[in-house]
Amino acid sequence: MSGFFGTAQADQIATWVAALATIVVLGGLLGERRVFGWSQHLLAGLTTGFLALLAITEVIVPRIVEPLVADPGGRPELWLGLLLVAAAAAVPWLPRVVAGVPLSITIGTLAAFALGGAVVGTLLPQLAATVAGREATVTDTVVGVAAAGVSGLVLIGFVHGTPRGRVVSLAAAGGRWLMLAGLGGWLGYLLFSRLVLLVDRIAFLVGDWLGLAR
Amino acid sequence: MSERSALAARLAPLLLVGALAAALLAGLDDRLTLESADDGAARAVTAAFDAMPDDALVLVGFDPDVGTYAEIRPTVRAVLADLLNRGATLGLVSLTPDGRALAIAELARMDRSEANPRQLIDLGFLPGAEAALVAVARGINGGSQDPIRADLPSPPDLAVVIGGIDLGARSWVEQVQPRIDGLPIVAIAPTVLLPELEPYRASGQLAALIGTPRDGAAYRAQAELGRLERMVDPAAGPSPAAIIVGLLVAIGVLGQAFGSRLAAVMRAARPRDVA
Repeated sequence: MSGFFGTAQADQIATWVAALATIVVLGGLLGERRVFGWSQHLLAGLTTGFLALLAITEVIVPRIVEPLVADPGGRPELWLGLLLVAAAAAVPWLPRVVAGVPLSITIGTLAAFALGGAVVGTLLPQLAATVAGREATVTDTVVGVAAAGVSGLVLIGFVHGTPRGRVVSLAAAGGRWLMLAGLGGWLGYLLFSRLVLLVDRIAFLVGDWLGLAR
Repeated sequence: MSERSALAARLAPLLLVGALAAALLAGLDDRLTLESADDGAARAVTAAFDAMPDDALVLVGFDPDVGTYAEIRPTVRAVLADLLNRGATLGLVSLTPDGRALAIAELARMDRSEANPRQLIDLGFLPGAEAALVAVARGINGGSQDPIRADLPSPPDLAVVIGGIDLGARSWVEQVQPRIDGLPIVAIAPTVLLPELEPYRASGQLAALIGTPRDGAAYRAQAELGRLERMVDPAAGPSPAAIIVGLLVAIGVLGQAFGSRLAAVMRAARPRDVA
């Protein structure tokens, strides 16, 4: 049960619309492409409309327009931001050196945050956690050693283009197989996750809509 | 592909849907349990909640995907009800449009139920993904120009991250945790993200993680929700019978594909033996 809809008439209508949309999408599995295509257009349209609404009501007006109207001289960074937006919109008419500035700042900022966070929040702590040491129980110690061994083999699996002996070649092959095993495991998680979602949709049709189960 | 094979391929999804519906209607769920036998993940979540002070402030990063939310929805509702029942104030912030849409729907749902509106703070949508998370951390640390600072009565005691594929617990661990000392993070994520998040739980960067429907069911079974029990549908969660049927079908399809391939290899090898 999704629990989003109550018992009022509007909720009943919403349940019917959701049920019909679900049937249309499931119909795509059976080869019904035309109505399925319409449902995709409907989703794209609703998403675009929601994004526009979100941008206007929760970003542009409260975070840019209102502060600038209230104190035009007090927020220079917002004027700078508006200037960058104007430059991005006027790309076809601006020299390449100027037109590239907004995009460069966007990509540079995103890369800096993502890279810095990955190093400080993931790489270093996970490297520290991978170092095998004496743990509270024998099982934990064995698991730690196994994790360190798997990490090492997978890293060796990425070694390319350098002369290597029989041992390193064997380790690299083992690392690649371990990577494949990991990928297989991840696909298993993906399958299970999608199956739960399909079961939820069928339960919605059978329970919320038809009122037959649960 | 022969006509028979084409018809079978066309009808197979219909048969799968029919089998799942039959499993749902068969009434087997009373005899099957979804809860994981190992309730360690559920106990870790409860321990993180128990460690909060009275009248705690919990920052909820609400960014599930529309596509995968159905999997974690029952657990998310139980977690929110549990926190409210403990007297915590929840500040919901979203950094993805999907998350914001679902946060609006859940806030409306809580508004219709018995949740105390004074315990709910809608912090809205922040654009900018990682940059927005950095701004959240700066706001918590006291940056007056940063978002959410004005709306939060005090620094949060706990962060609960309801994550999706676009943005979730990993981003919070990378961007927020290094900037705020001692902020424990509890994560709820769909199964597909479990391999990505499990190392963070194992290293202690996540105080607790619920990453499978079975862990979610174990948590729901032991959560004490008091009068907010009504916020959680007792029949919520995927049907174990339907999941078993679906997995059997998946194993059958894999077996059939593997068997066909094996048969093809053997057929190809036979003429060479003769030659």
